[in-house]
Amino acid sequence: MIAKLPVLAGSAAVILLMVGVAAALGFRTRAKLDEAALARHAEADGAVVEAALIAPDGAAAFAKLSGGKLMIARAMGEDTSARIAPASTADVRLNGGKLSVQFADLGYPPLHMQVEQPPPWLAELAAGDAR
Amino acid sequence: MTAPTTQTPDTILAFLATLDKDLIITLAVPGFVLLILIEMVMVRLSHRGRYEVRDSATSLMMGFGNQVAAILFGSLVILSYFWVHQYRLFDLGWTWPVLVACFFAEDLAYYWFHRIAHERRWFWASHVIHHSSQHYNLTTALRQTWTGALGLNFVFWLPLIYVGFPPGMVLMFSAFSLVYQFWIHTELIDRMGPFEWVFNTPSHHRVHHATNPKYLDANYAGVLIIWDRLFGSFVPEDKKEPPKYGIISQLGTFNPFRVAFHEWAGIWRDVTHAKSFGEVLGYLFGPPGWSPDGSRKTSRSIKAAWAARQQQEAQTAAVPAE
Repeated sequence: MIAKLPVLAGSAAVILLMVGVAAALGFRTRAKLDEAALARHAEADGAVVEAALIAPDGAAAFAKLSGGKLMIARAMGEDTSARIAPASTADVRLNGGKLSVQFADLGYPPLHMQVEQPPPWLAELAAGDAR
Repeated sequence: MTAPTTQTPDTILAFLATLDKDLIITLAVPGFVLLILIEMVMVRLSHRGRYEVRDSATSLMMGFGNQVAAILFGSLVILSYFWVHQYRLFDLGWTWPVLVACFFAEDLAYYWFHRIAHERRWFWASHVIHHSSQHYNLTTALRQTWTGALGLNFVFWLPLIYVGFPPGMVLMFSAFSLVYQFWIHTELIDRMGPFEWVFNTPSHHRVHHATNPKYLDANYAGVLIIWDRLFGSFVPEDKKEPPKYGIISQLGTFNPFRVAFHEWAGIWRDVTHAKSFGEVLGYLFGPPGWSPDGSRKTSRSIKAAWAARQQQEAQTAAVPAE
């Protein structure tokens, strides 16, 4: 196992090189979430967006959908990714201006977002009234 | 002065038999690196294909973790191969006919491993890692599982060993297959004519990595696409339907640990909440997305819904407008 360490060190160096080249070539574009993107994701699940919060930089969003569903969306490089789940399986917390949403599905990372003025629908969700 | 050696078929066989199988991949790595760098430059110049630095970094770290896992658990595979080899049915040695037969047998074993890795959640939990990128480029080829050996993926090759193929020969063709499959992870190479009739190509494999309902559960080939044609899982790439890459429930993270273990965590959560032994079996060995009440999406349900939509659209189009 010790004999393999130089090979692993070499691999790590090569990874750094390739990531460095990718960065130098400018592969750092990021998709921006907007209402149209959220509508597309919702439609793919047979739902429509009833209300949404989009981070100012367009990197993440949280939406309330028809049919009692919630959606977390994220920019993933040049693509966007969304996870939709019933509101009953989501843990929505609002502490001060910080929104945290975690689905029971452990595969999808929790959403953390600053919210200056929480809209009423979000406050309801956080209070558990809308679930 | 020594006499020059001639490369007779027997000396080639002897060389292959004694070759360190790890060396096949080790020697291919500089080629991988060079091709990735060339692809990056070509993508930048041609604007065909896509790269994203964090996505590539995650893919490369998954490849690194796969190397570490191979060091830690690879001996489990070797030991199981040699253990089964003790009980082999036939004594197939290192001969040319056996070598040719082993190439086809290994590729067939890969096809069935790969197909079941998509159809059964236990094996999908390891394989999903390779499909978790929403991009498709040569770094995606290196986005490999950390849990393959612990997930017992190697059992699909044990029948070959039991028949009597030398373990070293099976390992050699597995390594060649892995190396072959590197170059097909690209959007830069279009259709390849008659080569596609027999061999797995970038076009075939783009379909395999796509989440479009039309493309789900297709093209499981390693080297030869003939197995998909033979077993009815072949779907050609349709120019009118560009592939959307990734998995049905996109991960939404570049965190390598979450990528590596998310499906295992999901299995754990489901199994610990199961209400019967039947549910436990369903969550472990049912299709990915299986649930007792059918409320989650499986490949089959997604394809069925898509087919129904297609049929409905066709019927609507067939009704003449007034």
